[in-house]
Amino acid sequence: MADSTLLNLVLWLPVLGMAGIAVLPKGNDSAVRSLSLVLMLVQLALTAVLYLHFDPNVSGLQFATRRPWIAAWGVDYSIGLDGINVLLVALTAFLGPLVVAGAFSAIQKDVKLFYAMVLFIQFAMLGTFVAQDLFLFYVFWEAMLIPMFLIIGIWGGERRIYATLKFVLYTAFGSILMLAALIYLVYSMHRTNGAMSFGFTALYAKSLPLETQMWLLAAFALSFAIKVPMVPLHTWLPDAHVEAPTTGSVILAGVLLKMGTYGFMKLGFPLFPDATRAFAPALMTLSVISIVYGACLALVQTDIKKVIAYSSISHLGYVMLGLVSLDLVGIQGAILQMVSHGLVAGGLFLMVGMIYERCHTRDIAAYGGLAKLLPVFSVFFTILTLASIGLPTTSGFAGEFMALLGAFNAAWPLHEAGYNLPLVLAVVAVSGVVLGALYMLWLAQRMLFGPVKAPHQPFPDLNARERTILIVLVAAIFAIGLYPQEPLRKTELGAREYQQLVLRTHTTANHPESDE
Amino acid sequence: MNWGVALVSMLPEHVLLVGLVVLLLAEVASGRNRDGFAVAFVTVAAAAAAACMLFSAGLVASPFPGHFFAGPTTLMPKIAVLALTLPVLLLSRDDFADTRYYALVISSLYGACFVISSSSFLTLFLGIEIMSLPVYVLVLLAFLRAESTEAALKYLVLGGTATAMLLMGASFLYGWSGSLGIEAFRSAVTSTDPLAVAGVVMVVVALFVKAAVVPFHAWAPDAYEGASVPVTAYMATVIKAGVLFAALRLFGPKAPSAPLTVLLAALPLVSMVWGNLAAIRQTSFRRMIAYSSIAHAGYLFYAFLGAGPGRYQAIVFYVVAYGVMNVLAFAVLPRGIDDTRQDHLDVLKGLFHRRPYAALTIAAAMLSLAGLPPLPGFVAKFLIFRNVLAAGYTTYAVLGLVASYLGIYFYLRVIQYMFMSAEEPMAVRGRPRRLALAASLLCLVPAILLSFFPGWLLDQL
Repeated sequence: MADSTLLNLVLWLPVLGMAGIAVLPKGNDSAVRSLSLVLMLVQLALTAVLYLHFDPNVSGLQFATRRPWIAAWGVDYSIGLDGINVLLVALTAFLGPLVVAGAFSAIQKDVKLFYAMVLFIQFAMLGTFVAQDLFLFYVFWEAMLIPMFLIIGIWGGERRIYATLKFVLYTAFGSILMLAALIYLVYSMHRTNGAMSFGFTALYAKSLPLETQMWLLAAFALSFAIKVPMVPLHTWLPDAHVEAPTTGSVILAGVLLKMGTYGFMKLGFPLFPDATRAFAPALMTLSVISIVYGACLALVQTDIKKVIAYSSISHLGYVMLGLVSLDLVGIQGAILQMVSHGLVAGGLFLMVGMIYERCHTRDIAAYGGLAKLLPVFSVFFTILTLASIGLPTTSGFAGEFMALLGAFNAAWPLHEAGYNLPLVLAVVAVSGVVLGALYMLWLAQRMLFGPVKAPHQPFPDLNARERTILIVLVAAIFAIGLYPQEPLRKTELGAREYQQLVLRTHTTANHPESDE
Repeated sequence: MNWGVALVSMLPEHVLLVGLVVLLLAEVASGRNRDGFAVAFVTVAAAAAAACMLFSAGLVASPFPGHFFAGPTTLMPKIAVLALTLPVLLLSRDDFADTRYYALVISSLYGACFVISSSSFLTLFLGIEIMSLPVYVLVLLAFLRAESTEAALKYLVLGGTATAMLLMGASFLYGWSGSLGIEAFRSAVTSTDPLAVAGVVMVVVALFVKAAVVPFHAWAPDAYEGASVPVTAYMATVIKAGVLFAALRLFGPKAPSAPLTVLLAALPLVSMVWGNLAAIRQTSFRRMIAYSSIAHAGYLFYAFLGAGPGRYQAIVFYVVAYGVMNVLAFAVLPRGIDDTRQDHLDVLKGLFHRRPYAALTIAAAMLSLAGLPPLPGFVAKFLIFRNVLAAGYTTYAVLGLVASYLGIYFYLRVIQYMFMSAEEPMAVRGRPRRLALAASLLCLVPAILLSFFPGWLLDQL
């Protein structure tokens, strides 16, 4: 009981913060900033307690709460931690204070609204991760749109209106079809066995004809693939990233994009396993196209933010590849890669924000030889670059390597059976690593080395606040890179359960309710 | 006939009637223009309280058997309509201080209550006319501008056409069944007899006109724009609700026959698409809301595709959620929008910096109208499309949801103007309405309740 209170507290703390910000008098910006930071730190501390007490040897939900919410429809307020979401919740809570602290100097306009929206989106993201009821999940999922719409639209760059509308209209289109699919799913269950539940476990037990599964998975997948984003649904991402304020970019890259992959992992694939296996070659192909195409696009950008934005498309391609491989190592790698990408891309966007605050341009050509001007900045930028490439000892290595390994593990038996597509795709996916090294190193080389060049000089190197943020991030990146066993231990059972759910056949057989 | 039953079961109507008489007599007796606000507000509040009382007592009665029915399924809509009028009255305070405005509103409400309880075409017709006639005058009352006259006239002519259609349909049904009861309509709904189908189609089209469903919507943008803001709010919530409740009374839980299904799906669908697309082009806030209401009429009539008690639930919830959020938006609108010449979306530019409370409230209303969670509009939309899907109309449901997606853009544009645009130098800096805060709070409390505890209302339905 006390345990479930803790998770509820973590979830609802940002709402408390929003109420606090609302009652603070106008103009007291520093109080708003400190309140938000303190709140995020408390949330992080509580999440750390949750993480440490999360028992990796227990299957199913931990710290779970389940109460009827809309009793008439069987909708529950049902939340809990499991092996799949525990790391993502930790990631969200970990990035929270960094995001808040990272915006201290950059955001000077409408500060109250800004931090209220940051807290709101934190609430919605955590809610999406911990929700164990489809209705609740959808509410949180859609609720993320509103704060992000405002964050990009109010505090963004020149073309912010265009970018934010594009972001919302893309994601909302996916969601509307997901809504149709989820209502259909629940009511088809209602028709067959009279049960009326939106609970994930009850829905997992549902059997559907293959064709229905395919339609429903297509609707869910559209929504999730837009969020990931997978090529060809990615075009909103570069605009959103470039126009968003640093905070928006960090939240987007750090957590929001993982909603898509998490959605696939928690809902899309386990709910429709037969359709997933039928679509697996197509999904795998799209993942590999995302990896390579994203990397190629990153190579030719002239805007620093765009390089990192396109690299996100590439890196999340590995996550999808690992998930679709249905190999335990691959799945574990996918989860790890989600966390790693959140830290690395989040860190890179923070650093772009820091240099932008000083020079007001993100044009790569405007910079050169920053290693001489800003030694501390350059050290951190180099570390994050190497982590993004996936250098061993950084978190990026473990995740990408395992995801690729999973793809090969899954492809090899098929290759021996004479089916070569997965193996070819896996080999092509490896080329993404090379391309990744190319665009990131080239970016670092152009910015940090060569003749000294900057829009205007002199400007100060990183201050104590910025250094603290980056030290914390880099420490986490190395911690995961050097000792990936610890996070992997927490997720192993969750990954196994996911694997079993997707590998089972249930087109015809009617499974009993495992929920009640 | 049992007078005791008639006295108790029609208590909300009686309260309204007494209030109306008091209002008119006071004016006559004093021989000068009196402020009717207080009496009107108390009357409507008392009527709502009476309806609540009867509802919680679980009353089921037919004071005029075959004509008037009072039970939980008619009392709940009455509570909704009466309660939604309260914030509208608070809004009216600034524009109307004379008795005639309030007398007209109460008469119209009286008609709405009759519509909700009607069990025959006789009471239905009476109710609809008592409900609509005062509104033609209310539209005209605005500022006596040329636009108001044109709007009122259009509304009157089209409303009259609808009335004629309703009567024609009713007489067809009478010829077919020999009865004026709503049971005649309910059995005609599933019949394929040409006379029955013709009667039903005429009645449905009359309702489409009154609810502004495409292609019978042309009056709505002009009427919404020409009327004063409180009257627009009243039309968008109470009148629209009244028409939908009339349809609900007529159809009951019956599933429509196949040819009727096409009518009930196609025109509302076109309404959603056209309403949402045309709203994008509007530069006047109230015309935009008019087109939004055309789209919402489409969603509401979609509920008639599915059968069973889910329809009643969906419509009542939708009407309440839609009404609350609409009145909420109107309550805090800057005064400039009252004047047709200044009713331009530009007035909203930079509103957040001038009046953050108003901007946040309007934003919540817009997001709710767009059907985004966690706002009540989402649950309402969910209920409608749940029914359509549960009835097996997957294609219609998907098309409807995609149509609702088309609407997101123009609602977001309002938020964009309020939060993301620099302040317009031309922006009107009129004072907010005196009772705007009270009116908005009256809407905000149910809005929050419906957002987080939709079960609170659903369990009552």
